Amino acid sequence: MMRYDVIIVGAGAGGGVAAGVLAEAGKRVLLLERGGQLSFEHDPHDHLRHQRYSRYGHNAGPDIHGNPRVRVDAQGQTRIIQPHEDGYQNNAATVGGGTRVYGAQAWRFLPQDFRMASLYGIPAGSSLADWPISYADLEPYYERTEWELGVAGDGVASARHWPRRTGFPMPPLPVNKQGQVLRAGASRLGWETLPIPALINTTPYNARSACIQCQHCVGFTCPVDAKNGTHNTSIARALATGLCDLVTHAMVVRINTETSGHVSGVSYYDRDAQLQSVDAEAVICAGGAVETARLLLNSSSPQHPNGLGNQHDQVGRHLQGHYYPAAIGLMSEPVYDGVGPGISTAMIQFNHGNRGVLGGAMLADEFIELPVIFWARQLPPDLPRWGMANKRFMRENYTRVMRVTGPVQEIPSPDARVTLDPSVRDRWGMSVARLSGTTHMETVRTAAFMFERARELLQASGAIRVWGQPPGLYLSGGQHQAGTCRMGNDPHTSVVDQWGRVHGHDNLFVTDGSVHVTNGGFNPVLTILALAFRAAEHIVKDW
Amino acid sequence: MMNRIIPQDDFPNAWDAGVGNYLSRQFERDLQHQLENYRLGLKALEAESQAFAGKGFTQLDASSQDVILSRLEAGQVTLSWLMNPTEFFRMVIEHVMEGYYSDPGNGGNRDSIAWQMIGFESHE
Repeated sequence: MMRYDVIIVGAGAGGGVAAGVLAEAGKRVLLLERGGQLSFEHDPHDHLRHQRYSRYGHNAGPDIHGNPRVRVDAQGQTRIIQPHEDGYQNNAATVGGGTRVYGAQAWRFLPQDFRMASLYGIPAGSSLADWPISYADLEPYYERTEWELGVAGDGVASARHWPRRTGFPMPPLPVNKQGQVLRAGASRLGWETLPIPALINTTPYNARSACIQCQHCVGFTCPVDAKNGTHNTSIARALATGLCDLVTHAMVVRINTETSGHVSGVSYYDRDAQLQSVDAEAVICAGGAVETARLLLNSSSPQHPNGLGNQHDQVGRHLQGHYYPAAIGLMSEPVYDGVGPGISTAMIQFNHGNRGVLGGAMLADEFIELPVIFWARQLPPDLPRWGMANKRFMRENYTRVMRVTGPVQEIPSPDARVTLDPSVRDRWGMSVARLSGTTHMETVRTAAFMFERARELLQASGAIRVWGQPPGLYLSGGQHQAGTCRMGNDPHTSVVDQWGRVHGHDNLFVTDGSVHVTNGGFNPVLTILALAFRAAEHIVKDW
Repeated sequence: MMNRIIPQDDFPNAWDAGVGNYLSRQFERDLQHQLENYRLGLKALEAESQAFAGKGFTQLDASSQDVILSRLEAGQVTLSWLMNPTEFFRMVIEHVMEGYYSDPGNGGNRDSIAWQMIGFESHE
């Protein structure tokens, strides 16, 4: 039987980075991905089948047949959900994972984000905790991510808030008209703005071209390969070593362990639905916060009856994503100039230090909105949904409406969790993820506060009307899913140590958003990538 | 019905922009399971129109059609329907908008006419 040094489950952000580091260090790597390869030629930029609007499916997977989950609502009622339906908490299933099609905002978490419990105390009913590492521990890896994958940004503006040794390798994205209008509005309020850093080439970089400023960025593959994910950086480098085998359409169903807890390898179904078992010196889980938790729970054995790393009932808990309270403003003049990707401008002064609420969020402008999403989600609540009045509003105001929103740092709840459903199975016969609970009420309060700041900004920017409403209590996860295998020094309250090693298993690691203790008030991908660099480098050093 | 959901002005109505083509493709794909609902719903709309206005729906003028559709939207129907008329109408609205405003690759939005109308993909 073929034997590898390391098997990595999931070729997304964290798994892709780990593959690159390990293969370049001379390890023989098997990279298993449940999805397939997605190419621009095979991504028709379908407005009805992508992560932001998955009416009938997902361009980047998973297949909407055979991959159900179960949602338990507040009343204890269960419902089977397919990947394109609300509440599924989908993450892309393709080589590169979400980085293949994301919006590519490249934020570092702030130093305060690693110390949320110390800063704010622990609210009743919450599992809020500090990270076992600090911003300073991660800073070199943030820098490495920015240079190896390629981030465009403004180093001087960034350095006002984040201690950093270097600038960015590329200048920031263009400021389009909505960005200019919001910057003027923020200036009227005395709010500082800064350019949004992005994993997008604004100049040729890594032998690939610069962004052509198209209108189909978030949700889709890039027509000129200017969007930097793991598929065109670390995975490409891993494959170039000749030491990494990438196997797609490979669904890992079990991590195999010996009695000691030492991991021997994995079992997976290949594209022909044949069960394969492969051995390795170490296994890395990087399937996202829902699927990684599910895999650990599905890998129970007589010695680990509750699943791997789960001796203290921590695997799957503290599931969190981001709340996005959005205010929508109608402007008197057009604010659309067609310059993509659309995002350019952020404000981070409300991430911390807000009176009466815990944490906060970055606020930003939006990607160019697809017309069908604009119709479904951005129209004023009192506008007729059909007829001439509806058509006229679309005609007159698509270019005059803009949206301000941002990711609220969630206050985690231990009851927001992934468990195994006792009866529903996927196409491979494995128990599916059962999602229950909600975020903590403090998240709702912070979101309401941020909604008012978004409204304030739109009004200061000249909006003649603002609508939208702050979100209620629910479970968020989606592509920003995190927390289900959080890191910590105490095995009673965490699943992995600061290097991503699963407590109680010497050669089992997690390198995806699962390990986040808290999820920042920012898009989390740069942190996932940086943590994966740090964990993989440690695995090599510790070999 | 779809041409009252998106009527014609100096840009085309739903049918002329290809929404019919969008729907016929979807009835063979993602909306196969809705085909029977459409048949039942349109039949009920015709009966409702006869009962309320004394004419078939397609025989009515535009403003009378709008009156009937507004009543459907508000759940004010004369006959007993096999389905919820409000939900049926909401579903049709959503499908018509998908065909009109989504990418031409889905079969509607002929020549990206809806995008030209609202300014998507345009540059100053």
